Amino acid sequence: MKRIISVAVFLIAFLGLVNSGSAQCKGFTKKKCLPQLEPYVYNGQLNSAVLNEGDIAELLLTFYGGQDYRIYICSQEVLGNIEFKLLDTDRNTIFDNTEQNSIDHWDFSANSTQQLIVQVKVPENTSMNEIVASGCVSILIGFKE
Amino acid sequence: MVYLAKKSTEMKIKILVFYPIFILSILFLAVSCEESSHNNLDDIDDVELNDDTSGVDSEHVDRVTKIFYNIPSPIEMATIMQQAGATYNSEILNSVDNLEKYTTIATSALNLGVYGADLSYTRMFDQIQESVNYLSVLRKLSDRLGIPQDEGSFAVGRIEENIDNRDSLLMIISETYANADTYLKENDRESTAALIIMGGWIEALYVSASIINEDNQDDIIMKRIAEQKYSLQNLIELLNIYKDDQDIAEYIPKLDDLKLSFEKIEIIKSGAEVKTDTVNQVTSIGGDTQVNVTFEHIKEIKDKVGKIRTEIIS
Repeated sequence: MKRIISVAVFLIAFLGLVNSGSAQCKGFTKKKCLPQLEPYVYNGQLNSAVLNEGDIAELLLTFYGGQDYRIYICSQEVLGNIEFKLLDTDRNTIFDNTEQNSIDHWDFSANSTQQLIVQVKVPENTSMNEIVASGCVSILIGFKE
Repeated sequence: MVYLAKKSTEMKIKILVFYPIFILSILFLAVSCEESSHNNLDDIDDVELNDDTSGVDSEHVDRVTKIFYNIPSPIEMATIMQQAGATYNSEILNSVDNLEKYTTIATSALNLGVYGADLSYTRMFDQIQESVNYLSVLRKLSDRLGIPQDEGSFAVGRIEENIDNRDSLLMIISETYANADTYLKENDRESTAALIIMGGWIEALYVSASIINEDNQDDIIMKRIAEQKYSLQNLIELLNIYKDDQDIAEYIPKLDDLKLSFEKIEIIKSGAEVKTDTVNQVTSIGGDTQVNVTFEHIKEIKDKVGKIRTEIIS
């Protein structure tokens, strides 16, 4: 009987942990990532998710001509260097951080208004370790007044 | 006999303790899975149906785990409009006296967005007393939505301290929006966060479009309004994620109709390319955009967004 109750309690605790992962990810973003956007003004929209290695996430937004922006990719260390690209709507690559020493942010001015895609990818595990890495990734956008 | 009694007791415990826990676990798992698919798979289905400017094709979507849609914040919209030469007119804003009308979660969320846009506008034009008034209603609506304020935020008396400081006021507005968005998303109230975003975008578009009339057909402002075509697309995609929410479902057809008016505006773009000014250490994304917009286009948009906005603030 004790075993049954133990299994049930474990099951509930496990499911609770899975569900709270997303909330913890948002807490991580708020505490660890948002300060890195300064001196840019945060656009106020939280784009964070728990991703596994090999996962891809995308953010679609409009960048306005004449404005300065910072794209900042914030992630937990366990995921390694996150790859990120800026693509136009025809999916041509405008920027690729793997060609820039895997930097985690990019500052630029938009000369004209355009819809762009920020694409992030969690690198695949190349080691012999079979445990799939999983962690929080956030895509943050800041602009200058 | 003792054995049978013990067995019967065990059975009762199983029925009273284990089975309810087991059923609760299954329900919990089902809800979690549904929510997960709501956040991920539904987004993808929606994107596959969309064939226009979103830039997400079905071949690609198979590999994408999560898609986010962002809308320009009211602060950014106010900045863009001021740079475009817009002037201040308090009469077009939503009166703070309307606050008491907003008693439901949906109307409170929508109008938190509306008042946030109005505050961004009053701040941009250095209207201090108006900004104080709008900050006050923002605080009340945040309370109604059950959004706690962080220690050190504007809820703890910074309004009076910083209201004459334009930069601090910017920080307060930005913090308010970020705090609301984060709290609601942390607490699985993402549809409420989406309503705030929608309210803010509608008000910012309404305020911008209200600047244009037969006597003022400023090309730059009309072009900035036309460029909202992209953001409207993103907003519709965002709301479609929560289309099961009745309050959101109500607005999707209205935004689809507004989209028809924006589609009459032609935006011709050339390819984007990155240029780096090594002297000033500035990187820019180039590419020209030609926007073919007329006063009639803006008038039609103004009429439609005006009706949506009236429904929101009434």
